[in-house]
Amino acid sequence: MSRNPVDIVTSAMEKYGSGREAIMQMLTDVNRELGYIPEEAIRAIAAAVGVSNAEIYSVLSFYSFFSTEPRGRNIVRLCNTISCRMAGAGDILAAIEDELGIRAGETTPDDRVTLETTSCIGLCDQGPAMLVNDTPHTRLTPDEARRIIAGLQ
Amino acid sequence: MAEMRVLTAELQPEAGAALKKALGMTAADVVFEVRESGMKGRGGAGFPTGIKWNLAGAASGADKMVICNADEGEPGTFKDRLLLEKYSMQLLEGMTIAGYAIGSSKGIIYLRAEYPYLVPAIMKARQDLIDRKLMGHFILGGNFTFDVEVRLGAGAYVCGEETSLIESLEGKRGEPRNKPPFPVNSGYLGRPTIVNNVETFVNVPHIILNGSDWYRGLGIGENTGTKLFSVSGDVEKPGVYELQMGSTIGELLDLAGAEDVQAVQVGGASGITITAGELERTLSFDDLPPGGSVIVFDRSRDMMDVLENFLEFFVHESCGQCTPCREGNVRLLDVTRSIRDGRIASREELKDFFMLAEIMKLGSKCGLGQTSPNCFVDIVTKLAELPGGKGGI
Repeated sequence: MSRNPVDIVTSAMEKYGSGREAIMQMLTDVNRELGYIPEEAIRAIAAAVGVSNAEIYSVLSFYSFFSTEPRGRNIVRLCNTISCRMAGAGDILAAIEDELGIRAGETTPDDRVTLETTSCIGLCDQGPAMLVNDTPHTRLTPDEARRIIAGLQ
Repeated sequence: MAEMRVLTAELQPEAGAALKKALGMTAADVVFEVRESGMKGRGGAGFPTGIKWNLAGAASGADKMVICNADEGEPGTFKDRLLLEKYSMQLLEGMTIAGYAIGSSKGIIYLRAEYPYLVPAIMKARQDLIDRKLMGHFILGGNFTFDVEVRLGAGAYVCGEETSLIESLEGKRGEPRNKPPFPVNSGYLGRPTIVNNVETFVNVPHIILNGSDWYRGLGIGENTGTKLFSVSGDVEKPGVYELQMGSTIGELLDLAGAEDVQAVQVGGASGITITAGELERTLSFDDLPPGGSVIVFDRSRDMMDVLENFLEFFVHESCGQCTPCREGNVRLLDVTRSIRDGRIASREELKDFFMLAEIMKLGSKCGLGQTSPNCFVDIVTKLAELPGGKGGI
């Protein structure tokens, strides 16, 4: 059972203080724990730091890792930049989309996986590569990618 | 000029040896040594590190900051990942020496969101150094105190630009600031701040231990030291290579094993595209940008697909603040698709887009918009199939 967004913000404030420079860390903590940043969290961070809700929304909407929509329990980010593309990222994407029955940018109906394509993740020497949550997977083949995706809870 | 391993040498100096030596010098002498080394920033922009440190050291203001830019996001770059994985002791020691040199007790590593799995290695190195009194309070029993924390980014390429990075650390949108003021005078929270690349800091212990004369003996002319290159694409052995500054791109490709080369993208998507006829050109601040990313394309690749991929990247990553960058990249992407699909009737049609590329370079505030048209200009002029034959606008 995940914690209430306000509780996450409260414990983040204890760790990082309530200065404006704590905003990114607070957003990161909420985003990591819940998979997204709900409106209650935006309000709680705004109140903690002393800025408007709109200001917090403005910040979080700038960064591609932050989401305001609920996402799956697992987030798969497949690199779409040129070195991974040349190494076959297109086939990997097709295999994962087929395995999950969704397209990039979507979440499975059972909330198990959100699939995204992403800019370079710095694994260009070992492509095609993807991040599953915090873990890198490299030198993927379509079969290997299917196996990894099927194993996600 | 050829392969030369210093930063990635098997045998590294004992942790703390350079710091001990630095603490036996005055702060001004440490800055002087780094300045005399001639080292220019390893992130790609090439500002002399010693001059940056000198400015920050001389700036008035309390709570000076040492920030490490570990937001390695240029497509095709992964050399900092290797340094953070295997050489974080040297990175932290370099940051600590920088802190002593400019009079700072606090460092921050701004680590890109895509590298969270590197945090444990960095924190372990930090704890090892603290246990050995090489970091933390009263370093080596003296009065100098320095510590670092790691802060994660959240997926924004533009935050590799130093003022965007500072904005992000301050809890804001990562939009570049107007300069001046420069970070050395007014950076993080208005404090005098140096922002240096991971590789820059990793060089520092070597410079302090071996001296600036030794360092100037590496490389060519004003391009001193060694440089790490991330090589990917159509090569036999992709990976990180360390060469003396001023080596040729051909020497690097020989090490990585490249055959049937059509083109090489040097310096990432924002860098320069060269053809197989230009492999004698040198990796240095005077010629090909030595930021680190080298992507090789053999003759089987359609360079217009490559260009489309780069421009899609810039459309996604433009922060949107400057109109020429926000809108210009979209227009360049449109016309790139038109060229690829043979929908360009004449070369005349392309003239406006080359003018647009110039406007983007002149009218954008930061390096993103200033450099994103490079790939368009290079690939279209050198490699595109246009009405009447290949390239040559």
